[in-house]
Order: sequence, then C-alpha cells, then structure tokens
Amino acid sequence: MKLIHKLEPLWWILFGAGGFTAGFFLPALILGVLILAPLGVIDGGLSYQRAHMLAASLPGKVFLVAVISLVLWHCAHHLRHFAVDLGGHALAPIAAFASYGLALAGTIATLVIVGSL
Amino acid sequence: MSAHAATAPKTRTAEPRPPAGFPFGFYRYRNYVVFAATSVFMALGCVGLIEALYALAHGEEAWKAFLANMARPHNLVLSVVVLLFTLYFVFRFAWVGRKIAAGRIGPVPRPPLPMPILGVAPIGGFVTFWLILLAILAGVLP
Repeated sequence: MKLIHKLEPLWWILFGAGGFTAGFFLPALILGVLILAPLGVIDGGLSYQRAHMLAASLPGKVFLVAVISLVLWHCAHHLRHFAVDLGGHALAPIAAFASYGLALAGTIATLVIVGSL
Repeated sequence: MSAHAATAPKTRTAEPRPPAGFPFGFYRYRNYVVFAATSVFMALGCVGLIEALYALAHGEEAWKAFLANMARPHNLVLSVVVLLFTLYFVFRFAWVGRKIAAGRIGPVPRPPLPMPILGVAPIGGFVTFWLILLAILAGVLP
C-alpha cells in the first residue's frame, strides 16, 4: 500500500485525464461502434475494410489506446475510492489492487490487440 | 521523533464512519452513488470496444460475427444502458467542472461569465467532438 500511496499524484493525473477523455470521445465511440454499427445504420462507415483502416493507422492506434486505457484508469480510481466509501478503510488495499490491476490488464490487452492490427 | 509522531498518542479521534442514511437515504447520496456507478458502466463500454478491436484484428468474418452478436437485443439494451450512464457521467462532470472554472486561482480573478454559461460551454465542446467523431465513424468525414 505504501507504493500505492506514494503514486497518488499519478493516479490523480490518470483520473483527470480519463475523465476528460471520456467526456470528449467515449459517448460517440459507444454509440457508433456498439449501437449504430451493429444495427447497420453506419454500414459503409464501419465496413471491415474501413474500420480496419481507421484503427490500424498510427493516429487511430494512438487514439484508441489513449481513450480506452485512460478511461479504464479513471474508472479504476473512482471505484477504488467508492469501495472505501462503502466498506471503510479495511477495503482500501483490496480495492486499490483489484481496480488498478484490472485497469492495467485492460491497458495491456488494448496495447497488444492494437499492436496486432 | 517528528512532531506528528509526538502528538499522535494525545489526540483522540473517532473511528471513520459513513454519514447517517448513506448510501441511499438522501438524494445527494443517491446522486453520488449513481455517479460512482457510471465507472462500472464506462469500464463495460471499454470492454466492448476492446472486444471490437479483438474482432477487427481477427479478420472480416470475426468482425461480422461481432456486429451480429452486438445486434442481439440483450446486447443492444446493455449498450444503451452503458451509453446512458456515460452521458450521465459527462453531463455531471461538465456541470461540476463549471465550479472549478469559476474558482479563484491565486491572483487570477474569477471569470466574468455566469455559472450556467460556464456549465453549458464544456457540454457544447463535448457534443461538438461527438458529432465530429460520429461523422468519421459513419464515413461522412474521411
């Protein structure tokens, strides 16, 4: 836990950056990729060829890794502190390691998958 | 020995405890809980996007299978719920953020704009970015 507390400024930077990133980009990504594309509303825009071209370009890769990982770190920090609100300080170590661990796993998964595009 | 360590044994403090009625007994507590819950749903949205990238990395058939799976009613309902929680997060984030913008930072005076405008301005900025990104995803912009 000492290391977690020592890195508190880092968690706050990731939390703030993730909040702004979510505000600017996440609703449009969810609406476009997870709702409109499956419904066939933007068939041409997110055909396999075009979706792959967008995601595999260098700006696309940087954008996707930044958005997904920063939002995950934002969520992790928020949930860590909310777990302490609900369960008290006894939950603090479990909440910190579980939430940051999941965010780290999500970040690594995104990096690996985007790297393979 | 530090000053903090020297005074510690003399200071009696109560055990930390949640306020009465927390987490659902008061509307401000409920808003706080819903705001925290947005993180669960936004993380779910990120998992959905990672799944989309995974399908994209595995070829056209995998991409089509992903889209077909996400078009199933229960997945669509979940995606809409994720979107609603994300929108709640964004609007509350912007609305709370107006108080930061209206704060006085050192010698810098408060901005002359009234609070509602300070709240609406970031929301307008967010919506502009959503429209641009949606236009790119839809193929309207290159």
